[in-house]
Amino acid sequence: MRWSSPLGAVVLVAGVLSAGAYVVAVLDVALGRLTAAGHLRLRHALRQPLDETALLLLTRPSRTERPDAQAWALAPALLGAMAAAAVATVPLGRGIAVADVADGIVLFGAAMAMVMVAVYLHGWSANSPMPLLGGYRFIALALSYEMPLALVLIAAALPAESLSVGAIVASQHDLWNVVRQPLGLPLYLIAGAGLAFWGPLDTADGPDLAGGTTAEVSGPSRVAWELARRFVLVAVAVMGAAVFLGGWQGPMLPGPAWMALKTLVLLAGLVWMAHRVARVRLERFVVVAWTVLIPLALVDVFVSGAIAL
Amino acid sequence: MIRSGTVDIAFWMFSAGSVVAAWLVFRTDSMVRAAYWLLASFAGVGALMVLLNARFLGLVLVLMMAGEMTIMAVFMVMFMMNPAGLNPMTMVHQHRTAKIAGVFAFAGLALVGLVADFPDRPADARRDPTSDLGRELLGDSMLVFETAGVTLLATMIGAIAIASKRGRYGDAEQGSAPPALEEKPPEPAGMEH
Repeated sequence: MRWSSPLGAVVLVAGVLSAGAYVVAVLDVALGRLTAAGHLRLRHALRQPLDETALLLLTRPSRTERPDAQAWALAPALLGAMAAAAVATVPLGRGIAVADVADGIVLFGAAMAMVMVAVYLHGWSANSPMPLLGGYRFIALALSYEMPLALVLIAAALPAESLSVGAIVASQHDLWNVVRQPLGLPLYLIAGAGLAFWGPLDTADGPDLAGGTTAEVSGPSRVAWELARRFVLVAVAVMGAAVFLGGWQGPMLPGPAWMALKTLVLLAGLVWMAHRVARVRLERFVVVAWTVLIPLALVDVFVSGAIAL
Repeated sequence: MIRSGTVDIAFWMFSAGSVVAAWLVFRTDSMVRAAYWLLASFAGVGALMVLLNARFLGLVLVLMMAGEMTIMAVFMVMFMMNPAGLNPMTMVHQHRTAKIAGVFAFAGLALVGLVADFPDRPADARRDPTSDLGRELLGDSMLVFETAGVTLLATMIGAIAIASKRGRYGDAEQGSAPPALEEKPPEPAGMEH
């Protein structure tokens, strides 16, 4: 099957996203239990996400007074579609990519910028206070993580002298970017957690807002939203594995296996962080992002640029 | 390579979509919806630029506009004193002036479209438009580019200086106490100096 054909593209992207979302859900239950009770029950962790999804699907969809029904229904679709577009730019093995285009990293950036639109619309269109506050929180969060995210990706593109994700993977043949640019991956993972409003940065959908943008959503559209949010987290991990951990390159195992392994490591790290690091107040994160993370990301760009010269 | 028939269909789809979305900006009754219809229109233009092989510019247009339209919506909501932008409000004002300006703008652009002698020079497909753009921005156009960049940077620093918590109008938390519920509210806390 040619992966750039319509059918191949759908199979590949949908397969990666669904498998990734299930892995995230299982890891979430397992690592949550490990953190809280000190032991993990794998069989329980494998079943729990499916049970919860089935229960949510059977829940009656809730309604609010005069919502923007179209935007409310389309927000999860937009979020999921942007995650799919982001994954499509990443080669998952030698020559296994849907669209390893020449400006792939810019396409990833554009898709991830649209996440802000999806989350804000999801909060705004419910016409209800808690979701709206969640939407505004995400804007403040997004404006803080976007600069570090863009800068570390630019820094990773510098040694490759190309904006194509495939070329960035190839440029790490001798030395992975995680070693060459030690600031890159930690900054990327912080920004990535913000991008999927995950872990310590989940205040947009946080419990202190009764669920934030999801406060008024139940039933199938809640399932769609939670899935789309995990798709974004998977897209972050897939891109992180390609850009910082050498992508599909590695000894012995075939390319896709290395890619799956590296993505799994990053996903486990992100889920672990969600259970071990306390939720960060948004005002504090905004200050830290603008005064610490952006200058660090700039140092990353300058040093990487100087080395690449 | 994509066949030219597909490109033609995509071109007409994105063009028509952009025009309809731009029209809907003025037909909707909410600032947030208006901002995002404008974003849809820009995204269509970005897709047209990608079709014209200006991939980098098209993608950057979408990337920038996603954030900018959101910020624009937030600013409009803040300035209009419309809590959250949820209340319906009309998006068209000054009907007579708007109609005259619209007719003149349309006539002018249509005239250009009909009369102008558009160049017909197929570009070399092997050229990389992104690297050409980079060389242009850091070569001959560097002065223009850097002047615009430094001006915008100065504007941003000025805006932050005015808006920040410890800005030139004093501490942001001073004098912003909510009014009391009595008939004649007392002086809000923090206004005495």
